[in-house]
Amino acid sequence: MFIHNFKYAFKTLFSNKMLIFWTFAFPIILGTFFNMAFSNIENSEKMKPVDIAIVNNHAFEFGLYKEPLEKLGSEKKEEKIFNIKYVDSKKDAKELLDKNKVSGYFIIIDDKPNVVVNKNGFDETIFKYVIEEIDSYIKITSNIGNKKIAENPNETGRVNTIYQYVYLDVTKKISEYKANIKDVSRGNLSYTMIEFYTLIAMACLYGGILGTVSINNVLANMSNNGKRVSVSPTSKAKLVLSSTLASYVVQLIGLLLLFLYTIFVLKVDYGNNLPHVILLSLAGSLAGLSLGIFVSCVFKTNENTKTGIIIAFTMLGCFLSGMMGITMKYIIDKNVPIINKINPASMITDGFYSLYYYGTSGRFFFNVVSLLIFSLILIGISVLSLRRRTYDSI
Amino acid sequence: MKNVIEVKNLTKKYKELKAVDNLSFEVKEGEILGLLGPNGSGKSTTINCLLSLLNFDGGDIKIFGKEMSPNAYDIKRKIGVVFQDVAVFEELSVYDNIDYFCGLYVTDKKTRKKYVEDAIKLVGLENFKKFYPKQLSGGLLRRLNIACGIAHKPKLIILDEPTVAVDPQSRNNILDGIKKLRKDGATIIYTTHYMEEVEILCDRVIILDKGSVIASGTNDELKKLSSTKEKIIVEVMDLDKNHIKEINTLKNVAQVTYKDNNLTIAYDKGKNNIVDLINYFKKEEITYNNIFVARPTLNDVFLELTGKELRD
Repeated sequence: MFIHNFKYAFKTLFSNKMLIFWTFAFPIILGTFFNMAFSNIENSEKMKPVDIAIVNNHAFEFGLYKEPLEKLGSEKKEEKIFNIKYVDSKKDAKELLDKNKVSGYFIIIDDKPNVVVNKNGFDETIFKYVIEEIDSYIKITSNIGNKKIAENPNETGRVNTIYQYVYLDVTKKISEYKANIKDVSRGNLSYTMIEFYTLIAMACLYGGILGTVSINNVLANMSNNGKRVSVSPTSKAKLVLSSTLASYVVQLIGLLLLFLYTIFVLKVDYGNNLPHVILLSLAGSLAGLSLGIFVSCVFKTNENTKTGIIIAFTMLGCFLSGMMGITMKYIIDKNVPIINKINPASMITDGFYSLYYYGTSGRFFFNVVSLLIFSLILIGISVLSLRRRTYDSI
Repeated sequence: MKNVIEVKNLTKKYKELKAVDNLSFEVKEGEILGLLGPNGSGKSTTINCLLSLLNFDGGDIKIFGKEMSPNAYDIKRKIGVVFQDVAVFEELSVYDNIDYFCGLYVTDKKTRKKYVEDAIKLVGLENFKKFYPKQLSGGLLRRLNIACGIAHKPKLIILDEPTVAVDPQSRNNILDGIKKLRKDGATIIYTTHYMEEVEILCDRVIILDKGSVIASGTNDELKKLSSTKEKIIVEVMDLDKNHIKEINTLKNVAQVTYKDNNLTIAYDKGKNNIVDLINYFKKEEITYNNIFVARPTLNDVFLELTGKELRD
């Protein structure tokens, strides 16, 4: 009986054009649009290092800014962040800026770093951001030096020696700084990857539509077919379980197609942790399915309205997790982090994000576990409402 | 004969409205019981209570001698239901739909295959096995709906208005199919508001109104409840008020109505009435075209008992 119902539930779901569109075709179409829209932006940004000028005065020549900036300006072509023009005076730098030959210039006056730009654009933001990062790093290391002197009053006669140690530490760290800058900027700028993560999140959660339809088909108060099925001598548990499993399989097939399409056609790089990608997709799909079952059991309305609820919830969740603009994810993370902690779309997106950038980390598993807890809660509530076997009205 | 269904004092309320009010009846093995009543009379609610789909507020329901409940799978296995609304999967073919629903009762594949073929033959869908529901006409869809409900060869079949909005050809096919099911030994409950179907099919009839039984018995028993024993309908032009007044005074005439050139005369006794009427037309030199004599129908009974038509 289980296999019989599974077979036909699978066949029914797989032949439902509306379902196939939302769960199979729509994510692929959206992915194609994302690829067309965002890859160009990202490529153009990657290929253009920012033109800046640096006033090569005494303070710069013998200061701590020189080494990291030189490295950022003279690396291999694909890792280069700045095209640096060294000038002798502020006047020369200003002239380059006025002629739009550079996006801004850097000058140290009275031991303080200054960044001068004419406008607030993308390049100018990168320039300011990098200088701020270097500056904060230098301040931290200077504090370490002062602290070491304070901690070693007996060594006051050897202040220079202490500074020398600190200086070595600082310069070592600054030389490592290049990699940090690259990581941070890559993370913040990768629109495409965030979009694809939210796309997968959306595909996972759209599985909820499958869950809704399959549950509706076996419940007497949801559909005419449900009435007919309910008067048969088959237990509700068997019917619900086999139908849910069929939905899950259909959903995973849709997700597999999406992965294959994005990897082989759109050339999206999901990193090397395939088992973990699969684990997160399974957990995400389960969350989507649970959402569908929950909506189907709890909301006493017709199938179209339920589908609408799931689509609306999913789109809102994906919007808040950064689908329509990466800034939204940061705004929510910064101001109302609880929303993204309970938003399944955000759990999936963040799971992929952390997997891609930090590997198999605690953050990744936190997201997987969060999705499982989310699913358990929704399934628990649904099971409680399904235990009623007769209805007051149908 | 054993009782297949025993319903005692069944009551179902929707808030303050009593959809079924203290309803009691039995269905005997092998008979076709008609539940007749207008829309909203409580027929479908009664069926849903019988099947344990609906909670009810009072009463007892026994089917095959056992208390009916949602978990009574041994009882459910012997029941086939054809609901008023078509319940089939749009995504499955005719064959797959029947196979799916039959498979919820019959696990053996070979037996099921034979049952599915038998059901297809019974409803005359042999040429439409691979069709999908949306490719079928309304009548064929109803036939599929019936096949899905009875393919597992149930001993008790509940048909809830299976011929609503069906063309005459499909209706005849459906009615023939139901007669065959009864011949094969099934007990049938048939709900409808088409009195003609009840008269053709049912051994016994329960007439429902506002959730209560207002009359029950065989067709003949029910018709005896009517004060009208004979009805004559004549197509006649240009009758004036005096004529109608005089017809009213003819022997046995209980009621006369004249509308759209149709004269309908109800008689409280049923002998020689047509001769008297024709003689009157000759005497008055009234020309008439068609003349019909009819026995009282269940609709007349219903009309007399409730003051409204069955299809109201």
